Amino acid sequence: MAVSSPALAEALADIVGREHLVDEAAALDAHAVDGVTPRWVARPGGVEEVGRVLALAHTEGLAVAPRGSGANLALGNPPRRLDLVVDLARLNAVTDYVPEDMVATVEAGASLAALGRRLAERGQMLALDPIGGSTRSIGGVLASNAAGPLRFRYGTARDLTLGVRFVQADGTTTWGGAKVVKSVTGYDVPKLLVGSLGTLGVVVGATLRLHPLPLATGSWLSAWSSRAAAEGFLAALLGSSLEPERVTLLNREASRDGELALLVSIASVEEAVGSQGAALTRLAAGHGGHVQEMPASCWGRLGEALRGAVALRLSCEPKRLIFWLGELERLASRLGLRAAVVAQAGSGVLQCALQGEVSGAALDGTLLRPLRDGLAPEGGSLVVERAPAALKAELDVWGPTHPDVLAIMSRLKREFDPDGILNPGRFVGGL
Amino acid sequence: MMKPELFRELEAIVGERGMVSSPEGRLTYEADMHTFYKGAPDVVVLPETARQVALVVGLCRREHVPVVPRGSGTGLIGGAMAPLGGVMVAMNRMNRILELDLANRCATVQPGLINLWLSQATREHGYYFAPDPSSQMVSSIGGNCSTNAGGPHCLKYGITVNHVLGLQVVTGAGELVWLGGKVPERPGYDLTGVFVGGEGTLGLVTAAIVRLLHVPESVKTLLASFSTLDDASETVSAIIAAGIIPAALELIDEFFVRAIEEGIGAGYPKGAGAVLLIELDGPREEVEAQAARIVPICRDHAALEIRVAQDEAERALLWKGRKEAAGVVGRMASNWFLQDAVVPRSRLPEIMREMQAIGARHGLRIANVFHAGDGNLHPIILYDDRAPGELERAKEVNEDLLRACLALGGSVTGEHGVGVDKAQSLTLQFAPADLNFMARLRRVFDPDGIMNPGKLLPSHPACGEGFRPGPSRIPAGAWV
Repeated sequence: MAVSSPALAEALADIVGREHLVDEAAALDAHAVDGVTPRWVARPGGVEEVGRVLALAHTEGLAVAPRGSGANLALGNPPRRLDLVVDLARLNAVTDYVPEDMVATVEAGASLAALGRRLAERGQMLALDPIGGSTRSIGGVLASNAAGPLRFRYGTARDLTLGVRFVQADGTTTWGGAKVVKSVTGYDVPKLLVGSLGTLGVVVGATLRLHPLPLATGSWLSAWSSRAAAEGFLAALLGSSLEPERVTLLNREASRDGELALLVSIASVEEAVGSQGAALTRLAAGHGGHVQEMPASCWGRLGEALRGAVALRLSCEPKRLIFWLGELERLASRLGLRAAVVAQAGSGVLQCALQGEVSGAALDGTLLRPLRDGLAPEGGSLVVERAPAALKAELDVWGPTHPDVLAIMSRLKREFDPDGILNPGRFVGGL
Repeated sequence: MMKPELFRELEAIVGERGMVSSPEGRLTYEADMHTFYKGAPDVVVLPETARQVALVVGLCRREHVPVVPRGSGTGLIGGAMAPLGGVMVAMNRMNRILELDLANRCATVQPGLINLWLSQATREHGYYFAPDPSSQMVSSIGGNCSTNAGGPHCLKYGITVNHVLGLQVVTGAGELVWLGGKVPERPGYDLTGVFVGGEGTLGLVTAAIVRLLHVPESVKTLLASFSTLDDASETVSAIIAAGIIPAALELIDEFFVRAIEEGIGAGYPKGAGAVLLIELDGPREEVEAQAARIVPICRDHAALEIRVAQDEAERALLWKGRKEAAGVVGRMASNWFLQDAVVPRSRLPEIMREMQAIGARHGLRIANVFHAGDGNLHPIILYDDRAPGELERAKEVNEDLLRACLALGGSVTGEHGVGVDKAQSLTLQFAPADLNFMARLRRVFDPDGIMNPGKLLPSHPACGEGFRPGPSRIPAGAWV
């Protein structure tokens, strides 16, 4: 039986403490998701409290949105309903770190930057660098499988997450995976949770594979006057015996110097960085390009290129990266929009920020649909990662999913969240 | 017992040549390399297309008959045998490379393709398939996907799941569907990642798109010998703790050094208490620099000899010794159990000492050849079936070992998988809520419980009475 709103606030306050429950209208507005304002924000102080909050939400049928740093709140469809934001900021401890194993267990609310500082003291790192995302929380990065240039060498959260602790929709705390670097005991539950945007459970902690910080790193920027020239060099680079750490492409709008730019880093021992850097320079010269050495800080500035009210993420076959870059630019210019693109070679991911005025209908009809139709045969996708709520209302932010695949995903959602209280409506196919 | 009509319907799908139904024929399929577990299927079908697989699963759903997938049958967990009978779907006729797409650095292959064939087909172009279970000259890529197979080089390159981009599958619900694909990232749940390692309990793999890696610029293989096991395992922990991730880091103990030298003659130093096989790969300068850091670590831990393979032939021989190690045990012991467990790699010296203590307590010898760099142990418990009480003691050693690994924060299986062998052991590692979550995950893909029943999870409803898993008894010629 449903309890009255004041009684629910009391019950939540009993769990997390009055000072960790937000229920004033003004404060709640700041936690709106795509214009949908929650009735409460609860900040549990531990896994057990998250479990009790979820159990209460389950009993009362409250719709829940988990929150880390807030970076993912722009991602996804507007929520079908939203009662309670579960803010995991207080769960920010590194609960177990054994440098000798290169494994760390971290609570979901810890930020990438804070964890990175702790690991750097021991010469290690978590190789996840979503662009502009150092303040993002571990839980949020896992929920959206966010990754950046380092994915070229180290993969994504899918590859680096060894275990997850999560709270199911009914409040049951659950563990999947292992705390060791190699395990095939039971199903790979972390794979299911990573990238699920909190729709199957609320991730409260994770055990992560770490890597040693490279002994030396060098970064180089090469400028190309045409897409064809850049494409030729990129193919030669990836086909060579060079072993880059990051290979990132910036279009003219993103590089801001009138050229197409390829930013490459080599991370290894000093001698190898030197010789590979020289080989890279020679390879570029052979393709008529000029290479300049860059400070390592250039990687931290990629986020500046991707500011803008509308952000897109296009995924394609890796070999078609530059083709789709061209298509994206062509259709954006047709709408009078400026498109800044940062693309990850090898993984076929283009992130794009659009600048300029556009209606939802025009964006959909002129850009999203043609690109999605073109990407469909190769299994590619185009996701609107960020857009004003009014624009979102006129768009399909995720794009189509094959009906057979969506059928399996829907069964998963029904099995693990039968009442649809976890981020209802926000995920692919309205799950 | 299956209805006679079902045999006729199956034959209509796969053809007469795609059926094995004679008692002698079916016996060939009654076990994988874990021969302790036996269960012949009522019939074996050998489909040639994914569509045929889907039709077979559709029939089995209708009749509520178990479906047991099988690749090359080299598994070590009793995964590819039929404890409840039913239809075994053997993928041996679906063994082709469908497409090499070097520009996208991937290959599309059928599930029965032998692992090594893919690297052989791509090496001339400068690429290879990284997962390298010791069985790679025989095991199939479909089987590798189903068990999420490992191998020596996963230390640097990750296990099978890290190399699978997409799978075409037939789920237990009868759907023929592509999960994932050449595009590495797509919105929605990572169904590919969930399916890999499902051991055929979620459905069957009918095609896979796998990553190909560039052959590294240089490779260096070192052999370091030690007088004691303790020195060798301390060295392993020290190398990892120094932040060096070799391509492979294998430990071979005194027993195996002797057995391999007598059986294969791989050039391991006779009389050594333990040997480390260390492989480094990558840019030449990086490999040299890593070697220059590793050698003093070995010396600091009292290495007797450090040798570098001088050419490809010597390197291949060193690896032959390692990969075929399990095959030579038969020369040295009448019976043996194989274990596959994991400890955090910093605890390696501790577990190796504990292991010797466990063996001594029960009066049995435990031999070791394993993936030391990632803490993945393969203790082999030697016993004699004819000696009264030794079998029971060997089982106790096996149990004690597993518990000791878990007490250190480890895992009950690192790469071989669960199958029937370790289904009950999952309760040692997971809480009821965790297992319940997995059971529900299984139901989503296999609502009727027909897919490989009795495997991967404890007390599956379909698990037959009187079917009690026991420790691992592996025949000569297996790979670990």
